[in-house]
Amino acid sequence: MSSLKVNRIIKNYGDKTAVNGLSFEVSEGEIYGLLGANGAGKTTTMRMVLGLILPDEGDIRYLGKPYGQEQLRMLGYLPEERGMYPKIKVSDQIIYLAQLRGMSRKDAEQNLKRWLEKFQVPEYYNKKVEELSKGNQQKIQFIAAVIHNPKILILDEAFSGLDPVNVELLKTTVKELRDAGTSIVFSTHRMEHVEELCRNITIMHKSNPVLQGSIKDIKKKFPQERVVVASDGDITGLESVAGVNGVFRHEHGGYELKVSAPEAGQRILQHALSQGPITRFEIMEPTLNEIFIKTVGENHE
Amino acid sequence: MNSSLWTVMAFTIRNKIRSKAFIIMTIILAVLLVVAGNLPYLIDKLGGGDKATKVGYAEGQQPQIVQGLKDYYGQLPKPDVKLVSIAGSEEQLKGALEKGDIGGYLTFAEDKETGFPKATYNAKSAFSGGTSSSLTAALQKIKTDRIIKDAGMTEEQKKQLSTPVSLDTQKVSFSNEKGKSEEEQGMAIGLTYAMIILLFMGVMISGQLIATEITAEKNSRVMEILVTSVSPLKQMWGKILGTFIVAMLQIVILIGALVINLMMPQNADSLAKFGIDLSTIDATLVVYAIFFYLAGFFLYATLFAAVGSIVSRTEDLGQAVLPITMLTLVGFYIAMFGLTHPDHILIQVCQYIPFFSPFLMFLRIGLSEPAWWEIALSLVILLASILGIGWLSAKIYRVGVLMYGKRPSMKEIVKAMKAYKV
Repeated sequence: MSSLKVNRIIKNYGDKTAVNGLSFEVSEGEIYGLLGANGAGKTTTMRMVLGLILPDEGDIRYLGKPYGQEQLRMLGYLPEERGMYPKIKVSDQIIYLAQLRGMSRKDAEQNLKRWLEKFQVPEYYNKKVEELSKGNQQKIQFIAAVIHNPKILILDEAFSGLDPVNVELLKTTVKELRDAGTSIVFSTHRMEHVEELCRNITIMHKSNPVLQGSIKDIKKKFPQERVVVASDGDITGLESVAGVNGVFRHEHGGYELKVSAPEAGQRILQHALSQGPITRFEIMEPTLNEIFIKTVGENHE
Repeated sequence: MNSSLWTVMAFTIRNKIRSKAFIIMTIILAVLLVVAGNLPYLIDKLGGGDKATKVGYAEGQQPQIVQGLKDYYGQLPKPDVKLVSIAGSEEQLKGALEKGDIGGYLTFAEDKETGFPKATYNAKSAFSGGTSSSLTAALQKIKTDRIIKDAGMTEEQKKQLSTPVSLDTQKVSFSNEKGKSEEEQGMAIGLTYAMIILLFMGVMISGQLIATEITAEKNSRVMEILVTSVSPLKQMWGKILGTFIVAMLQIVILIGALVINLMMPQNADSLAKFGIDLSTIDATLVVYAIFFYLAGFFLYATLFAAVGSIVSRTEDLGQAVLPITMLTLVGFYIAMFGLTHPDHILIQVCQYIPFFSPFLMFLRIGLSEPAWWEIALSLVILLASILGIGWLSAKIYRVGVLMYGKRPSMKEIVKAMKAYKV
């Protein structure tokens, strides 16, 4: 059974449609990617999942049950725009938020200490939030979202504003939560994170879900249009190979070719080999970034 | 569940009480009140009493009048003026004043029309209020005495003339309760006055606090997490109740400090002199005071909460709460007017308007004799308004906390309410 099941939800604000017939399912221990340009309806979708607003049509099920007080308790939310009480101690506000979600004070304290240890910042327990750096505030914010061991976790731009070391740290943590069985709805503009973490995704565009499914399947739908080839010396005449639409020379050596069909790759390889040894050759699958721009961009016209 | 309401309340109270601003504010106010409580005693100690102002006069000038003044102040148990004779002319008097030997001096000029010389009190400051009014009274007496003496009245007649007219004001009571004595009436005015100021300050300070906190929560986006954890209604009421308890605590501390000081033995005499007797406070009046305080507080607190929820930035808050601030100000000033005209038609009409009735109905109960149905009608309207406004505020709060950007108009709020299905 899926932890979270969103079934054809529609939300209108006056005569404007914010979300139009979106459906998706997140199973236990899965990270689901919710992608879309700004204003595509992601935030509205997340707010409906969180029960802040009710969908006009369709329904959302949490472990098979409709929204209610119990469901509220098993949700965790990391909002896109971070917010904490700046003048209040970390321990006070995290324990407060945990209590609001039905945790006892003692459990909340223990959990907080464990999480601070995990993030290697136990000394923050008695600090005020305004005294922390932005990246560390973000860690605290993340703890606030997961302190009560939610079954369903909603992460909106979880890694924005963090340095690479801390991104890795949080990414590892998210993976651990996933492996522990948490269902995670993950929204971001950073496609490489989606590619790394998510099994299934939805790309939304102007309120409509335009592309849905597993990343593997989605990639298969898009033709492989890029070939990378490199050698120690120069390779000439690549433009004249049949099926090649364009050649770009990379700064640090190597060529990136646009091709009309993957078969052109073999001809390119033969052409290049005839001029000398090859150090690199790859028929690239489309990146999610390309797919996103293509999907959203095409729909723009 | 009520536990989350309690959690919000406890959090609000804890943070408020721990905040430096609250602690400093309470201490400063308490110190001020302690000083104010001891003021009658201090005035007694420092004021006139033992320290008579030395008033100089040129020797030989208007001997009759000077003698009259000496006699007048000689009769007083605690004269506030002591006449000092200085040999010489006005120059010497001026010199003595400059040296500080005397606090001021008298000069006289003949006045043919009235037949009584014109006196001038010369002092370093033109505002020597106490001394000059005391001198005026003394001179008036001397003048009267002189005329009476000229008219050839008997001592008996003189005594009759100087006895002041007696006029006692007695409030007539039409209901069955006993009429209030003058002392009780005085205490009622004092209590009403104190209560109106307390309500006004309580509403303004706590209301602003509630609104600011809600806007700050929105501004810092903590709100997004809060609304996903606890229902907006509980959140709003938790905040209002928490702030209320803090405000009560503060008032109890302050009133406690004041009352303890007034009870001190050194103050008992001074209080009695001013006609203040705490035991004459009417118990039912206190009950009404507490009730109307609560009603006024919650009525305005919910309004402030609603306004706080629709504003996204703290900078915009001042402007947004202005209408409510004006309402409380209007209520306050009508009440101030009502202190002297408790039965004016304006008061009689406004006592049914819920925004003003906490001020005015209490005032009328304290100072006048409103019919039972007037009180009941006002109470019913007030309670109904609290429920209605509380309900509406909760709705506005529900949509307001999620609306960011510019301050939404009425129309946009109504539209959002429909969209959010609240």
